[in-house]
Amino acid sequence: MVAVIKKELRSYFTSMTGYIFVASFLFFTGLFFTLNNMLGASPDFNSVLASILFIFLLAVPILTMRLMAEETKQKTDQLLLTSPLTLTSIVLGKYLAAVIVFFGTLAFTFIYPLIMSTMGELAWSEIIGGYIGFFLFGSALIAVGLFISTVTENQVVAAVATFTTLLILWLIDAIIQGLPTDKTAGIIFALLLAAGIAAITYFATRNIYVAAGIFGVGVIAIIVGYIVNPEIYTGFIARVLEWFSLYSRYEDFQLGILSLSPIVYYITFSSAFIFLSIRMLEKKRWS
Amino acid sequence: MIQVENLTKRYGQHVAVDNISFTVNPGEILGFLGPNGAGKTTTMNILTGYISATEGRALVNGVDILEEPEEVKKMIGYLPEFPPLYGEMTVMEYLDFVSDIKQVSGQEKKQSMEKIMDLVKIGDVRGRLIKNLSKGYKQRVGLAQAMIGNPKVLILDEPTVGLDPKQIIEIRNLISSLGKDHTIILSSHILPEVSAVCERVIIINKGRIVASDTPENLSKGLDDGTRLIVRVAGPEKQVVKVINEIHGVKFAESQGSKEKDTVDVVVESDPDIDIRKPLFFALSRASYPILMMKSLGLTLEDIFLQVTTQEKEVR
Repeated sequence: MVAVIKKELRSYFTSMTGYIFVASFLFFTGLFFTLNNMLGASPDFNSVLASILFIFLLAVPILTMRLMAEETKQKTDQLLLTSPLTLTSIVLGKYLAAVIVFFGTLAFTFIYPLIMSTMGELAWSEIIGGYIGFFLFGSALIAVGLFISTVTENQVVAAVATFTTLLILWLIDAIIQGLPTDKTAGIIFALLLAAGIAAITYFATRNIYVAAGIFGVGVIAIIVGYIVNPEIYTGFIARVLEWFSLYSRYEDFQLGILSLSPIVYYITFSSAFIFLSIRMLEKKRWS
Repeated sequence: MIQVENLTKRYGQHVAVDNISFTVNPGEILGFLGPNGAGKTTTMNILTGYISATEGRALVNGVDILEEPEEVKKMIGYLPEFPPLYGEMTVMEYLDFVSDIKQVSGQEKKQSMEKIMDLVKIGDVRGRLIKNLSKGYKQRVGLAQAMIGNPKVLILDEPTVGLDPKQIIEIRNLISSLGKDHTIILSSHILPEVSAVCERVIIINKGRIVASDTPENLSKGLDDGTRLIVRVAGPEKQVVKVINEIHGVKFAESQGSKEKDTVDVVVESDPDIDIRKPLFFALSRASYPILMMKSLGLTLEDIFLQVTTQEKEVR
């Protein structure tokens, strides 16, 4: 795994991608620091971190687009997959390399609070809390990008798909506002969800009986749920989509509150996408 | 060393490898021969654990590739059809990385890298970026990569593609010498290569094994007699008559005249009788001098064409 991390780090900085990521990230943090803290004369650094969240939309695809896509395209995945490395250590190595580049860049920005601390007292605990949240948030998005990079062998497709996905995640709270909250809509959505899971199962296993079985179980569960407590379908769509609302969970960090549940949420979210990436590579081997 | 049992790989409706079984003994050099798209690469990809078989299993040194993939992969060095090279790395950096992922460490790593670079003759480009190397050098860096970690089994997919004739001979000699303490499977659609290097040949066509034997036996097996072509100075009818009277000749057939006052005759005899001497004496007694005599044993090329085009008859 260490070998993979070393190789990925080297390739970030022998090509342009690493430099583009670092440069654009530092440029925008510097810009917002100057505007908010220096010119605005505000000691609140967490608001800078919150305002530069949008940079993930551009920076994460840069960081993740080539991770697996390039290996597949250049057929160098044959070297990795036929070496004694496990799939887990390959995927984890790549993920960690991207996270290390992100972490290193983020560490640079720590210079801004240090500059501010020469001029007065800072709420260090709040700033540290903000940094932890920012780091976990970015790491979760990198996991999404990594997964998309395992799906395609075209870097451009990977970059665009990652950007679109992050944009949807960004807008998901706004989307939720406009969705119907009544019971009928909730039940229809639940049925579609069951059908979707059954369809994915079918494409993954090519076994129509298993897929039909899963759909059947889903329908029964939905009916049972309705009989027991029809109220669960009120606002059901919103509740499901909120699982993917990464941005709303950042609010605590922005206020400098270090609470456990968003931390666990981000780590779980990252793990889920790393796991999916591993499964995706495993599946390619079988198809 | 390698045992393949009823291996099948399907891509949807398409059957790439159809129920093939074979074994490779330790220290053997096995050649995979077949036209493009016959399933050579697919079989090799399964053996190295890059893809999984739909059915059947493959054992390397008694270990199943599906059950203990890491164990098996440690024993195999693989040179795929397209050498898996990172263009942004120098040759040294690349081999260093490969050593790391194959868990070769410390002192041993340096020594083995030097030794391998020496063997495949890439020492002079060690500091250059791989993307700037010629095809021949890239191929050799790929071969070096397969040899790192000193695996017992080498699987080489068309190892001499892109090399010039001199390099091809060097690589062939290298493979032959590696064959002393490695088990090697190599694929090729170039026939002389297989007959030059391999002790045994498996011919694959449309995902199935259509022939498997030593290159010599393959030549013999399909040939139910020994055939000679002779050019004799003399009248056609008499010459054929004289030859037909020799003991052991199954039949003689005139091929017409290619030189003035001579006749070319194809002579087929029992495989266990050498008729060259009797042929000489008989014709000289009749004072028809022999101007040329050549054996017409089937070349691997003939066999290849025969088994891949007339598959059903052979099976």
